[in-house]
Amino acid sequence: MTTYDILRRARRNLTQARVRTILTSLAIAVGAFTVTLALAAGEGGRQYTEEMMKTSGDGQSLSVYPKRVEVKANELTEYGAVNDSSVSDNTLNNTDIEKIKTVAGVVDIVPMYNIQPRYVTRGGNFKKYIAPVNIKVDRTEMKLAAGSLEDNKVPVGGISISEELLSSFGFTDAESAIGQTLTINMPKIDANGKYLDESINKTLKIIAVDHSTDATLYYQPGLYISIDDGKELYDYQIYNNVNDQYNGVVVELKSGTDIKTVQAAIADKGYDVYSLQDTRETLLQMVNIAQWGMVAFGALAILASIFGIINTQYISVLERTQQIGLMKALGARKKDIARLFRYEAAWVGFLGGMSGTILAFLVGFANPLIAEKLHLERGVRLLVFNPITSIMLIIIMMAIAIAAGYFPSRKAAKLNPIEALRTE
Amino acid sequence: MIEVKNVTKTYGKKDNTFVALDNVSFTIPDGASVAILGKSGSGKSTLMHAISGLDKPEKGEIIIDGKNILALNQKAIDKFRSKTISFIFQSFFVQANESCYDNVSLPLEISGTATNRRKKRIEDALSAVELLDKKKSRARDLSGGQKQRLAVARAIVSNPRILFADEPTGNLDSATGEVVEDLLFGYNKDNDVTLIIVTHDPDLAKRCDIQIHIKDGKVESIEGVK
Repeated sequence: MTTYDILRRARRNLTQARVRTILTSLAIAVGAFTVTLALAAGEGGRQYTEEMMKTSGDGQSLSVYPKRVEVKANELTEYGAVNDSSVSDNTLNNTDIEKIKTVAGVVDIVPMYNIQPRYVTRGGNFKKYIAPVNIKVDRTEMKLAAGSLEDNKVPVGGISISEELLSSFGFTDAESAIGQTLTINMPKIDANGKYLDESINKTLKIIAVDHSTDATLYYQPGLYISIDDGKELYDYQIYNNVNDQYNGVVVELKSGTDIKTVQAAIADKGYDVYSLQDTRETLLQMVNIAQWGMVAFGALAILASIFGIINTQYISVLERTQQIGLMKALGARKKDIARLFRYEAAWVGFLGGMSGTILAFLVGFANPLIAEKLHLERGVRLLVFNPITSIMLIIIMMAIAIAAGYFPSRKAAKLNPIEALRTE
Repeated sequence: MIEVKNVTKTYGKKDNTFVALDNVSFTIPDGASVAILGKSGSGKSTLMHAISGLDKPEKGEIIIDGKNILALNQKAIDKFRSKTISFIFQSFFVQANESCYDNVSLPLEISGTATNRRKKRIEDALSAVELLDKKKSRARDLSGGQKQRLAVARAIVSNPRILFADEPTGNLDSATGEVVEDLLFGYNKDNDVTLIIVTHDPDLAKRCDIQIHIKDGKVESIEGVK
């Protein structure tokens, strides 16, 4: 018998036992539904995490700090046991930068300059404000309300401002702020960190207005300036004070470099190194655990459905003893009979897998509702379906159904036609 | 020609054996109509099963067209059943849920006949039993006589050389039974097909060229051999 003929007969047999077919495939559908949703939620969770990471930091950079006091084997080091450390040991200096530069994969090192402006103003009759001015050292993504930032960096002479601060400076909206200027008043400080009267004014052009999104882990409104402008202001502010003490440095890596390797290499030189990668991996691991937990529940449902298939198939063989006998009397081969029952199982698997997947896809239409309930930004999709995975899942469901139908189909194939035709 | 030589078939094991066929021998010429007669339990059904390759007697030979079918492997026997012979059963065994067309299509599907050649053969077989107008009806909607005619159509669609009929009119009233009988004998004469009928109905047996009487697994007598 040809595959097509057997498939047709298999489908016809199933449509005749319609209710039974639907019920059996429904059990598989529950499993397929759960697994599809779990995978979709996992994918959505991962994408959301990645999005969150992009706005929280630069994946291609590391933050390096001086090594903190070490606690070895739960014992604190007694004071005086080692050489007394100076304050400079708790900061990084240019020697440290040179040391870190020798690590392979490091492209650039930017110290975390800490600048303390006196005020920021639009000039003229506008008021002066105490505002946080930060230096954008890496390529952490900023969500912009207006303007643009090439390569997520602030160009020299430019400044980015948080949307929340616009009204203080008298801007009506984000668009109108672009192209306007802000002036930073930068005083010198003495060795004790006190402001001196002497100061310079740095005027910068607003090139971007950024804002927070729900995917942003940590956001504080402020102003962002370029590294070069930041260094200039920093150098001016601390002039003859020790000027190479930094709380930490940001190390930028060559693209494509393995962050872990560089991180370990720098740590080996005696520094504390942090990367966004650590946080990212922890979060992704959580998402994955949740996903596979749900998949496991789906797998249990599928396991239960296997017994349903076996049971249904056995009943089907009993019911159709006469049909099987007739087919064998007419010369049907054992393998044809076995195939007929296997294909019926495959159809049931296909129907179940298909309807479960479609149901799960329908739930995907609730994405906006889910985002709303979780107070997420509009357009965030927590259920992301992958058609290839779904097709694979349906194929797996069919394979499982065929495997479940193995024993019943073998029983059918082995039926003695004489016995089978004696059923009267 | 069908030659049955010294066929013995026993059921059961050791002390509890039952001899269903005991050293049975006879010959059936091509194109003959043969009635195998006997009471129930006489072994006539076992004999039919043996000749049609459904059952395997432990002794003897059944030679059809020069080949001992008892020596064939399963694949060859399946092929022999789908190409050379056909069955009609007392209780029809038509597939109630399937259309008449699909019922008749089954032997062609089993024998692997190409799809494009099936339609004409199925329709020819259905018109031979005057059921062409019921082509799309489900078999369950047919009357008893119509069901057996459908079974005849299913049996002849594969152009068999030998047609086995196991009590073909046993479940039918005499009028409808006669229609089926006429169909069988007509097909036997027109196509020179060997017709083997297993029955205990003497009237039906009389219409056959040869009558083989079976009793307690042995050939009691053979009538009609020239």
